[in-house]
Amino acid sequence: MFATRLLAAAGAVAALLPLSAGAAEPIKIGFPIPLSGPTAVYGTPVLQGAQLAVAEINAQGGVLGRQLELLPRDSKASADEAVRVSRELIIKDGVDFLVGTLTSAEAPAVSTVAKENKIVFIAPTSKATILTDPQHIHPYIFRVSSNTDVEGLAGATLMARWKDVKTVATIAPDYAYGRDSIAAFSANLKKLRPDITIVDQQWPKLGEADFTPFITAQMGKKPDAIYCSLFAGDFITFTKEAKPLGYFKAIDNRMIDPAEVGTTDEAQALGADYPYGIISDSYDPVIWGGADEPAAHKKFIEDLKKFTKAKYASGWSIVGYQSIYALADGIKKAGSADSAAVAKALLGMSFDTPVGERTFSVKSHETFAPEYWGVMVREAAYPFAVMKNPEVLPKSFPVTN
Amino acid sequence: MRRSASRLPWTLIVFLAMASVPWIGSRYDAFLAGQITIDALFAVSLNLLLGTTGLVSFGHVAYFGVGAYVCGILMKAYGVPFVFAFPAAGLGAALFAAISGYFCVRLIKLYFAMLTLAFSQIVWAIAYKWNAVTGGDQGLPEIPYPDLGWMSAIPGCGDLSTGARFYLLTLVLVAVALAILHRIVRSPFGRMLTTIRDNPERAAFIGLNVRAYQLAAFIVAGGFAGLAGALYGIFSRGVFADYVFWAKSAEVIIMAILGGMDYFWGPPVGAAALVWLNQQVTDYTQYWPFVLGSLLLILLFVFPGGLVGGVVAGVSRLQRIIAGRDA
Amino acid sequence: MAPSFLFSQFMGGLTTAMYLFLIASGLSLVFGVMRVINFAHGSFYMLGAYLAWQAVQWLHPSPEGFWPAALFAACAVALLGAVVERLFFRSLYGREELYQLLFTYALVLILGDVAKFLWGTGQLSVPQPPILAGSLHIFGTTQPAYNLFMMAIGPAIAVAGWLALNHTAVGRLVRAAAYDREMLDALGANVGSIYTGMFVISSFLAGLSGALVTPIQSIVPGMDVLIIVQAFIVVVIGGMGSIWGTFWGSVIYGQVLSFGILIFPGFSLFSVFALMAVILIVRPWGLFGRPL
Repeated sequence: MFATRLLAAAGAVAALLPLSAGAAEPIKIGFPIPLSGPTAVYGTPVLQGAQLAVAEINAQGGVLGRQLELLPRDSKASADEAVRVSRELIIKDGVDFLVGTLTSAEAPAVSTVAKENKIVFIAPTSKATILTDPQHIHPYIFRVSSNTDVEGLAGATLMARWKDVKTVATIAPDYAYGRDSIAAFSANLKKLRPDITIVDQQWPKLGEADFTPFITAQMGKKPDAIYCSLFAGDFITFTKEAKPLGYFKAIDNRMIDPAEVGTTDEAQALGADYPYGIISDSYDPVIWGGADEPAAHKKFIEDLKKFTKAKYASGWSIVGYQSIYALADGIKKAGSADSAAVAKALLGMSFDTPVGERTFSVKSHETFAPEYWGVMVREAAYPFAVMKNPEVLPKSFPVTN
Repeated sequence: MRRSASRLPWTLIVFLAMASVPWIGSRYDAFLAGQITIDALFAVSLNLLLGTTGLVSFGHVAYFGVGAYVCGILMKAYGVPFVFAFPAAGLGAALFAAISGYFCVRLIKLYFAMLTLAFSQIVWAIAYKWNAVTGGDQGLPEIPYPDLGWMSAIPGCGDLSTGARFYLLTLVLVAVALAILHRIVRSPFGRMLTTIRDNPERAAFIGLNVRAYQLAAFIVAGGFAGLAGALYGIFSRGVFADYVFWAKSAEVIIMAILGGMDYFWGPPVGAAALVWLNQQVTDYTQYWPFVLGSLLLILLFVFPGGLVGGVVAGVSRLQRIIAGRDA
Repeated sequence: MAPSFLFSQFMGGLTTAMYLFLIASGLSLVFGVMRVINFAHGSFYMLGAYLAWQAVQWLHPSPEGFWPAALFAACAVALLGAVVERLFFRSLYGREELYQLLFTYALVLILGDVAKFLWGTGQLSVPQPPILAGSLHIFGTTQPAYNLFMMAIGPAIAVAGWLALNHTAVGRLVRAAAYDREMLDALGANVGSIYTGMFVISSFLAGLSGALVTPIQSIVPGMDVLIIVQAFIVVVIGGMGSIWGTFWGSVIYGQVLSFGILIFPGFSLFSVFALMAVILIVRPWGLFGRPL
């Protein structure tokens, strides 16, 4: 015991010795993201997108003459673990910035860590309102993803198009994102189609292994259509269990899922088991299937495929990619890697992405990004479901800042 | 305590060494030291049941969690100052220990273990689902630090960050708690507990109300675990449902055994060793559970006395050799 | 509430129950005979699932590869169980129960990482075997053929196990070992082999249940930890060491979950643990168990 203490003391003294000041130090970016478990199917490609961005930026000389260094950590999609690894990244690894987390369980928790340590934190995917609402906003949090209000408007718009639907049921994971997602959808649906009633709501927990009781309970209410916010591994398990029970058949595949199960990642993971005919979204449809694909996007997809050595590009990598570029732009604009300066620089800043320009709003630090929505269909050229005629929704969103 | 006649006040030395960390160590060292301090209290509280009374509780994390949530909720949602929230956490945990312990101590070993596990999972389920109070999946991030402005008055502490000040406060509180626990274990009450551990039937024969003693131990252990939990919530800047998952109960048992459950200072040594080892291993590999499992196997088959047990055995062996030589 | 709806929920609960029964039966067996709570039972289940997936990959694209894969997985896990029992468990029998518990927990940690190392951290999936891919329409509800198959297997194993234990010479020895190990030893029976045999059968059942669950659930790290607590609950409710107890415990658990989300949606998670606690308080040896 004494030896342990002696060693610890010796180590502490050693830590005080000045580091050899060599070439310009890299800018360290901590990247907590789920790399294991049901959400890894989304988390891993987000990291890869970030890694691609870092590689590109470093190849062009870095930012302010310094290279970027990404420190990824597995957050296991749990708030507890995300906070733990984030604090370690800050205290032990001395990161300058934080980018990452996937779920809205992790992001708000990491946001508090960022606030306390005054480190800029950019969340690429978390949509729940709590992340940037007036009680929780602070100078250092920024959101590149969409949010549940934007998503809910899009989802409700699509649901409203089915004129013969009179009853709707919802199923969503029981945590901030799931709750916010359904709330936003319901509110918007009421405005667009006051004649539709919501007849059933199910709330399995995130990471549920057995959805059967939820599925059968929902089927018992005989809804015309379903709004489902399950995502990643949960959606895969859910589909596996729901299909044989006749869930999709009963609603004639009239399901809208706003949680990006329309990404190529999810489609590949499900393969032939995909419930073709549902409507979903993605930040990047990858397979454009039309003449209006932006040239920047074409290039991005080519680079991504080469970088990940994958046959088909991921629909998730774009958010990791965007986040790093947004951060880099912020650092350049601020002229320093000091979080306080960068935080100021990011306010109201516009940045380019392969699918268009985005701007961080001054009031709530988010981009209100729309997404690409479409019916998921079979296409001969691909062994997985593909989005048909991806449409940007919502067409416009009333941003009050 | 079976320590050889040693005139060095080890506990004082260790305390001073740990207290010096904010000055001589990095922020990260203080972080680790804080982790070790809190885990030490948690592990010693468990050992009151495991080592002293012979009760194998697989749900000790429930009281840790109750303490963390009580303190966290009081401080965050109701703005209660730490000086009240902290003891409230201990009392809340002790109360829950009284209720659950009442049922648990009536059961024989295996069922006792299962019921402790059941209660701990009940706490977990409530923490997970009672979104309004516990934050559910989101947990309760942003637990405020207690007001530590008064520490500026203490010489040398003026320059310390809030985190470092809180670490020192934690160290002092844990030291006091450990001193109290030490007194309890050494007291006649503590001796009754060991008697019960060694031979419950005999204890009953000589007139001890076995159940009452076991329940008392349960309550004390639960209360101190709650205090550890309260400190942990503030230290970690948040309280989350996963704190109460049963795997954490297993982890604290491992700390106690790693250090040596037959010795009062075994569990703190085990806590320090485990935290340190975890840091070292996770720097190189993601397969920490594999390492921990292997370590556990080694402990079970080769060193059942744990680190302290091994050291004590080694030291007494040495003494015998020396004495043998002299004889 | 339409009767077909209630029937749906009931059948859903029964499906869950039979999966749980398959895995819990092995746990109950080991507990009944050897008085050990085997935390690693969930890990064996997980390994059964991963091994079945692996075998399906090897046998790809043969569509009926699922069945040999499941059998392979079960046998491989049984073999692992034999090795674990002989090499390690043996030496812990005389020791404190705590050490046995911790040993099984050490296995959980080790096997969990072994699975991660071999199969990665993502989620894996096995397609349904074509022969059971259809569904039947009963009482206005759709019942997947695979679920019905599981509902048949459960009782089949329960009956087989009960017959084996009560109507064979080996079964009599096993029951005797459960009652009084030392006496049996003194009478000259090879108690060590009985223990190994029980452990092997238990592991086989764990591996088999893991393999059979793959067509309708995902294979993911952490499934070992999630299932073991559920198996504990079932065994506690039904009674450790009793096959029919475990059977009925599973049925009860399945229905509580299934109807729980209708009646008290927020509480279904809490209610199964509360049920476990209540049984332990009121009747610790379970509904069908014997006081120890």
